[in-house]
Amino acid sequence: MQNIFNFLANPSRFRLFSQKVYPYTLFIMFTFISLGLWYSLFNSPPDYQQGETVRIMYVHVPAAWMAMMVYLSMTIMSVFALVWRHPLADILSKCSAPIGASFTLIALVTGSIWGKPTWGTWWVWDARLTSVFILFLIYMGHITLVRSFEDEYKGARAGAILTLIGAFNLPIIKFSVDWWNTLHQPASVIKLDGPTIHIDMMIPLILMALGFLFFYFSFLLINVQTELNNRKLKKLFIQSFSEAN
Amino acid sequence: MKKFYRLILRDIHLVIKGSSDAGAALLFYLLAIIMFPLSSGTEATLLTSIAGGSIWVAALFSSLLSLDRLFRSDFEDGSLEQLVLSGMSLETIVISKCFAHWLTTGLPIVILSPVLALIIGLDFSYWWILCLTLLLGTPSLTLIGATPAALSCAIGKGGVLTALIILPLMLPVLILGSGAISAEISGLGGFGHIYALAAILPISLVAVPFLASKALRLGWE
Repeated sequence: MQNIFNFLANPSRFRLFSQKVYPYTLFIMFTFISLGLWYSLFNSPPDYQQGETVRIMYVHVPAAWMAMMVYLSMTIMSVFALVWRHPLADILSKCSAPIGASFTLIALVTGSIWGKPTWGTWWVWDARLTSVFILFLIYMGHITLVRSFEDEYKGARAGAILTLIGAFNLPIIKFSVDWWNTLHQPASVIKLDGPTIHIDMMIPLILMALGFLFFYFSFLLINVQTELNNRKLKKLFIQSFSEAN
Repeated sequence: MKKFYRLILRDIHLVIKGSSDAGAALLFYLLAIIMFPLSSGTEATLLTSIAGGSIWVAALFSSLLSLDRLFRSDFEDGSLEQLVLSGMSLETIVISKCFAHWLTTGLPIVILSPVLALIIGLDFSYWWILCLTLLLGTPSLTLIGATPAALSCAIGKGGVLTALIILPLMLPVLILGSGAISAEISGLGGFGHIYALAAILPISLVAVPFLASKALRLGWE
């Protein structure tokens, strides 16, 4: 395991690796999402109470999972960046933030579209909605902070520090529905005593979740490649400039 | 330990001399509270229901305003570097600076709050829960804001950006603090919120010195 970390620590090696892996993750993503969409739109039962609106769940729930998952992986990578000074960890953490922010926005928007027919309101200030909204603001603050540094090495490190400060929001989001009485329903898939969701709804949900996960992987790889190319371009530019003089 | 006290005394001395803006932050606290009755009407029932929240919002903003300069002046004139060279660990310096910041901006807010609660129309029998939440919450606000304040030193510019980064991080403290007061007034009992508020303080006390000193070192690189 350590060998893999050390092998990929070299930026140019990581770039080659990501260029090779990227088409496969993209392919897996398309397979899972198209299968999941077919299941969720045509091959799953409508809810006995909510009717057809339940199909929003197959986008909303995976997006909300990914919003937290991306932040969790950013936190782990920030620890790697700050404790072991892994040269790629802060880049990975920096490049995850825009993807995580998009997932959070998708979860918020689909949730509010789903809330109108089922709860009768677009938005309530309950614990789950508020804490996810705060997560979105933390993501946006992170992106703004990283961009405001002129030196992108420093910016990525600063982003890693900020990620760790914001990480306390994660357990609040996860357990907000258990700790407070909220309008949002409590967890029904990731529970200690097994899921309470029917298998026909579980299959499309899992497929979509896997599709979103591979969406994250593919776009993370693209973002990291762009970042590494930018850094290399800057280095080449400085080199050519010093050689010309 | 002696150096730790010396540093706190130095910071307090700077505040008394007027070369820091802790006094301005306190004045801002008073002004921000006055905004609420002026903007949302002066009916007694309305004021009672928003009193706790408005005091908390004012406390948060005044702490936010002074946090931007928590490390900045010392960072820019080089005295922070000299302190590190004198053999004090940067983590200790961060804690002592946060403590001095709380003593000069947080503690006056806590002491003034019962009087202001009277003005704004909070029932006087709830002064203890207001003071308790502020006493637990204002040090957390200082500690949570310390790392972004240190990061803003590393960028070299502060202002709106610092506020933008700090505010979302402070929101849970605000929610718990004002939630405790409204839960107590509605008869549910505010101690559930207060326990959570009390948990944030030691966690941030442990995590913040390391992260803030990492951020300050980033500025020196």
